[in-house]
Amino acid sequence: MIIRKLDFLYRAQLDQETLDIWIEEEWLVPQTAAQEQVFSEVDLARAQLIRELKRDLGVNDEGIGVILSLLDQVHSLRKVLSHTLQSSPGERKSG
Amino acid sequence: MTDPYEILGVAPTATPEEIRKAYRRHAKKLHPDLNPGDRDSEERFKQVAGAHNLLSDPEKRRRFDNGEIDASGVERPQQQYYRDFADRSGPGDPYENASGFADFAQSNDIIAELLRRQAERARRAPGADLHFGLTIDFVDAVNGATKRLTLPGGGSIDVTIPAGVEEGQILRLRGKGAPSRGEGRSGDALVQISINPHRMFERHGADIHLELPVTLAEAVLGARIRVPTPSGPVMAKVPKGSNTGTTLRLKGKGAPQSGGGCGDELVRLKVMVPSEPNPELEAFLSDWDPGPNYDPRRDMQP
Repeated sequence: MIIRKLDFLYRAQLDQETLDIWIEEEWLVPQTAAQEQVFSEVDLARAQLIRELKRDLGVNDEGIGVILSLLDQVHSLRKVLSHTLQSSPGERKSG
Repeated sequence: MTDPYEILGVAPTATPEEIRKAYRRHAKKLHPDLNPGDRDSEERFKQVAGAHNLLSDPEKRRRFDNGEIDASGVERPQQQYYRDFADRSGPGDPYENASGFADFAQSNDIIAELLRRQAERARRAPGADLHFGLTIDFVDAVNGATKRLTLPGGGSIDVTIPAGVEEGQILRLRGKGAPSRGEGRSGDALVQISINPHRMFERHGADIHLELPVTLAEAVLGARIRVPTPSGPVMAKVPKGSNTGTTLRLKGKGAPQSGGGCGDELVRLKVMVPSEPNPELEAFLSDWDPGPNYDPRRDMQP
């Protein structure tokens, strides 16, 4: 599902300037289509997380980048782990 | 729900600052996105967030302290957390970061294979589909046309409108969507068609409806007249003794149907008397006797 920029700003409760900064920081990585930035549900949930980290947990801007990078690594690890557990049950038994 | 002060672990006399700090302390530990694998954290976080929601609002807190409201019903609505998306995101996820395990790839065949497959999938992942709307004229919808769609960011694509396209129909243009992040195919452009109304024609499925004014003489005596259709005017025969409401069916003059063939054009006649006063017509009608049984309002008698 593709979300157009105006829609995204509204649903993520962001202003244009903040969004530009977040994209520049690579906290958000929208797709570009027809010279227009388009967003997904994943970006929306990620924007929500960034807002909660800042507003509710008092994380400062430096911290956000660190947290997101570590979170991305955790999720990638989780994916690899779940693939591994699914694809090699025999090896786990014998090992 | 239990006592919100208890949930946050603060005294009932706590200052707003103390409440905020207590909430942050809990949230840092419990926020579901900071605990991707812990399904229980969500329930506990909801309680903490609900308690904070109640106590951080001075008005709500006052009413709670006075016993006017209880602690139920202040929980935040169900939220979709980032972790729910991150764990099921597909190939080409821009947030994927393999640096947490890339070093294992050298010593472990399974991991190396997984990494290779993941990279391959990401490389081949297609671009996203893009949605557009396009408004076209009635006649173009019936006959088909090529329209240029201007994209929001500049640029354009040519859209071939098939004859007989219907209101709300979505045309899929392969490969005209967003490009792939890697080397996969581009996504598709999905163009939803809306059709402007026409001042004369109306469309009902594949049939075209038209109301056509005829003169008194044409209706009474019969005539051959020109009838507009979406593909240009055709000659049609008005039978002798026609009336307002008489419908002519022009076979195959409607819109093309999906199963092949075309609908019809249905021409509903509308008899017009001259708008200017006409002494001859008046003289004729005063002498004219249609007979005792003629009553156009007979069916309306109670």
